[in-house]
Amino acid sequence: MTAVQPPHPGEPPPPERGLTRDERGRDVSEAQAEAEAETSKFQKFQKFLHMMSPRLVWSMAEGYPVVIKQFLQFCLIIIYPAWVFAVLVGGLCQLLFYVTVYPLLWLLFWPVRAYQKKHHPEEYAATKEKFKKK
Amino acid sequence: MGLFKKSGGAKVVVSPTNVTPRQTVTATVTTDKPIDKVRSARLDWGYTNFYQYHWAGRVDSVAAQGNDTIWTMDQVGTNYGGDRDTDDWVSVIAEDVPIAASEFTGTTSTFRIPSWAPASSEAIARWGCRLTIDRDGRDVDTTGEFTVAIGTADVEAYVEPLEVVSGAAETVIDIALSSPVYRAGENITGQVTLTPTMDLPDGDLAVSFQRERESHPLARAPGPGTQFDGRIVTLGKRIPLRAGYPVVLPFEIPLPADVPPTAAAVHSSINWFVQARMMYAGFTGHMLERVRRPIVVVNAP
Repeated sequence: MTAVQPPHPGEPPPPERGLTRDERGRDVSEAQAEAEAETSKFQKFQKFLHMMSPRLVWSMAEGYPVVIKQFLQFCLIIIYPAWVFAVLVGGLCQLLFYVTVYPLLWLLFWPVRAYQKKHHPEEYAATKEKFKKK
Repeated sequence: MGLFKKSGGAKVVVSPTNVTPRQTVTATVTTDKPIDKVRSARLDWGYTNFYQYHWAGRVDSVAAQGNDTIWTMDQVGTNYGGDRDTDDWVSVIAEDVPIAASEFTGTTSTFRIPSWAPASSEAIARWGCRLTIDRDGRDVDTTGEFTVAIGTADVEAYVEPLEVVSGAAETVIDIALSSPVYRAGENITGQVTLTPTMDLPDGDLAVSFQRERESHPLARAPGPGTQFDGRIVTLGKRIPLRAGYPVVLPFEIPLPADVPPTAAAVHSSINWFVQARMMYAGFTGHMLERVRRPIVVVNAP
């Protein structure tokens, strides 16, 4: 430890500093925060619907300077049908994955899981617990 | 017809130009000829603070996330150039210069550098005495600059706790340093102690210094901050790691003489670390271990 000289009594106090990106937390619009807040199973479907809401798409122009913001809103209106299409296709792909590929992988890795369950029961339980929360 | 009549220019000279906190500097303002039609004049002691900000839009919006995906596909996205470098004037003490008969002829002012002053460096701050004259013609805005260096006696430094950055801590890595404060141009000396918690594959250990610049503007959206790793000093390529046999390795990291010292300003700050990283030999599923310990870097005796 080094000895520090005491501050001078007459000196001005240090000016207040701002906050870093991490300290401020996630920077999202209100509509997006609402969509992300939904976690339960039924709400997951709602989240999916939320992703298609025009309000969320519209909110992506928030925080831009005037003129650019209006231009972005104009662009977002134009691409809105494409956005809905992309979200639907994304959802469909995910559904397709869980119907076709996922069961195959589940079957393929059955022996690995069985081995882990038998020889490393604590680790197996811990992993199961970890993915249960999601 | 005073439209094309040029008024005199002002010059601010600060002496001495190289100072440390708690020292006093004097600014002398001179004019080649009296500046007329003056409404008010102000002397401002402070610094220009350099930082990074996010220019507009939400940082974590859905579009930005999608944009990151485009980034990883090697396409320049819509958010390209979204984080920008800028600077703002931070005033520490401002004083009004008395004006007689709307004419400014010169003045002097003294300033005691505060104990918390951030050191001058291109990454953080440029100290100066700024003269602004509000007048009926063209305003005057000129700055006399000086450099603030930080010495060992100006910083409060103690051994700060080790930070585990990544890894499963299968080997407990400890960094012991000869001092918590180093001067630019010196060598950082210390030793790394590896304590394996189980029998592990051989380790590859390296150390380096790390400099981190954080941006935390008061009003604007902050930029992401930057990290800079110094030259990597390899301490061992095949270090045997057996449970119950700790390994001690001394190290020496050269610190360049012209580095920006530890500083904390209003809109940005610089933090220094000594980091150690260890990789395990082979493809055995052991994760890379990375730890770091904060240090303080100064640039004056």
